[in-house]
Amino acid sequence: MKLLKYSFLLILAVVISSSVNAQDEKADRLIGIWEPSHGKAKVKVEKIGEKYYGKIVWLREPVDPETEKPKVDKNNPDEKMRSTPLRGYRILKDFQYTSKNEWTEGTIYDPENGNTYNCIIKMTDDNTLDIRGYIGISTFGRTDIWKRLKMPSKKKK
Amino acid sequence: MTRRYYQQLLFATLILAFTPTFAQTDTTETEEEDYSMYDNLEFVDEGAKRYASVKIKGLAPQKLISVGYSFQGAHELETSAFGGFPASTDKINSVSGMRMEANIPVISKNSLIMQVGGRYWESNYDFEDKSSITNPLSATLSENGLRTTGLNTTIYKPLDEFSFLLFRASADMNGDFDSDLQGMEYMKYSVAALWGKRPSDYKQWAVGLSRTYRAGELNYIPVILYNYTSPTSKWGTEILFPARGHVRYTVNSRNLLMFGFELEGNSFRIGNQGTELNDPLNDLEIRRSELRFRFVYERQLTGFIWLSAQAGYRYNYSYNVDRLEDGDEFFRGFFGDQDYIMENELTNPLYFNISINLVSP
Repeated sequence: MKLLKYSFLLILAVVISSSVNAQDEKADRLIGIWEPSHGKAKVKVEKIGEKYYGKIVWLREPVDPETEKPKVDKNNPDEKMRSTPLRGYRILKDFQYTSKNEWTEGTIYDPENGNTYNCIIKMTDDNTLDIRGYIGISTFGRTDIWKRLKMPSKKKK
Repeated sequence: MTRRYYQQLLFATLILAFTPTFAQTDTTETEEEDYSMYDNLEFVDEGAKRYASVKIKGLAPQKLISVGYSFQGAHELETSAFGGFPASTDKINSVSGMRMEANIPVISKNSLIMQVGGRYWESNYDFEDKSSITNPLSATLSENGLRTTGLNTTIYKPLDEFSFLLFRASADMNGDFDSDLQGMEYMKYSVAALWGKRPSDYKQWAVGLSRTYRAGELNYIPVILYNYTSPTSKWGTEILFPARGHVRYTVNSRNLLMFGFELEGNSFRIGNQGTELNDPLNDLEIRRSELRFRFVYERQLTGFIWLSAQAGYRYNYSYNVDRLEDGDEFFRGFFGDQDYIMENELTNPLYFNISINLVSP
C-alpha cells in the first residue's frame, strides 16, 4: 500500500515537474533581441525573477542632434531620470506569462514622449510579437509588430 | 530498502522539478554590456519586412476623443435678394457651439492601420436683433443654427519601408436639422487617396486627389501632404494642403505651438424645420467655407489628456446658396458658370476654439 502511495506521489511530482518546465519554456520564448517596426531601436528581453523586462540595446541614432551627446531619457516626467542614458533603458517592465502566448500585467515606456502605457504582448509566431500599448482599455491603443533578431555572438575580451 | 529508495527518488524528483525555475530567474548582466555586439543583427525570419511608420518624429499627438467649444465673434451677414425678399444686412453677435469627435483605431498593425471616427459639430447663430430679421435665411439660421454629424474612416497602408498609401472617406449630414435627421439623399461624401514616401524618421510626403466639400461645394482637387521635423525636433511642419497647414514649434514633449490655417467647409441643407418659411427655402444648401488662420497651443494636462487651444481670424470664403432638388448634387468647380440662388457675404471676425482630448499612444 505504501509502495502505491509513493508511486503516486512520484508520478505527481514528475507531472508537476514537466508541466512547470513546459510552461517555463513557453514563457521564456519571449527572451531574445527584438526590433520594433520603426527600426529605430533594438530591445533585449530578459527574465528577472518571474517577470520579463526589455531594455534598449541599440539605437539607430544614438547621439542627440541637439546636444551632440549620447541620447538620454530627456522626456521622462521624473526629472531625476532625465539624465539616464537611453541605451540600456528598460522600456518593457513587469510582464508575466499568462497563457495562450500572451504576456500581460506589464507596461511599455515611450521615450519620445515620456509616456508609459499598459501593454499586452502576444506572440503570433516564434519570431513575431504583437505589442499593444493602450490607455485604460485595450480599445484605445496601438499595436506594433516586433520581429526577432538573431542572437549576437559574444565578442572575446 | 524499497521505501527508502522511493523516498530518495521522490525527493530528488521534487528538487529537479523546481530547480530549472530558479536557475532561469535572473538574466540581468552585472558586468557592463558591450552594446556594439547588437550593431549588425539580422532578422531570424528571412522574409521579415519593415514598413513605413504612419508617424514621424515630433508630430502633434493624434486625438482619439475630443470635446470642444468653438466661438466666433461679432460679424455681419449680407444676403442677396431672394424669392421676393430684399437684400439685407444682419448683425450676428456670435456663432458658437460644441464640437465632439472620436477616432478609434479598429486595425492597428505595422502593415495596416484603419481608424473609424465620428463627429458632431454645431453652429448656433446669435443675431443682434432677432425681431427685425426679415430675410428668411437669417431667420432660419437664427432659429435653427447649423449642425454637422458624420462618420469617417482613415486607412494607412505601408507598401514597404519607405512608401505608403493613405485613404480617407467621410459621410456627413450637414444642415439645420435637429433630432429629426435629414434623409440619406442629402449626405455629403468626401474621399481622398494619396501615395507617399517616408524617407526618414523626420519627413514624410504624399500626393493625391480628393473629392471634397471643403471649398463649400463639390470639388475635385489635388492634395499634398508634407510633414517634417527638424533634426533637433524643435521645428517642423504639418501640412495636408489644402485642408490645413501648420508650422510647429515644440517647446518640450508636453507643450507645443503651431501657426497656420485650416480650410473648413461643407454644404449645409436648409430644411427650415418648424418655421413658417418652408417655401421657397426647401432644397437650398449653404455652400459654407471658411479659412481659419490661427495659433494653436497644445499642452499635456495629465497622462493622455491634452488641452488644445486655438485662436485666430476666420475669413469667409463662401456662404452662397444653391438649390439642389432632392439633394441632387452638381459640379461647378472653380471655373463653372452656374448661377447661385443667393450670393452672400460674411464679414470676418476673430475666433477661438478650446478642446479637451484623449490622445493616442
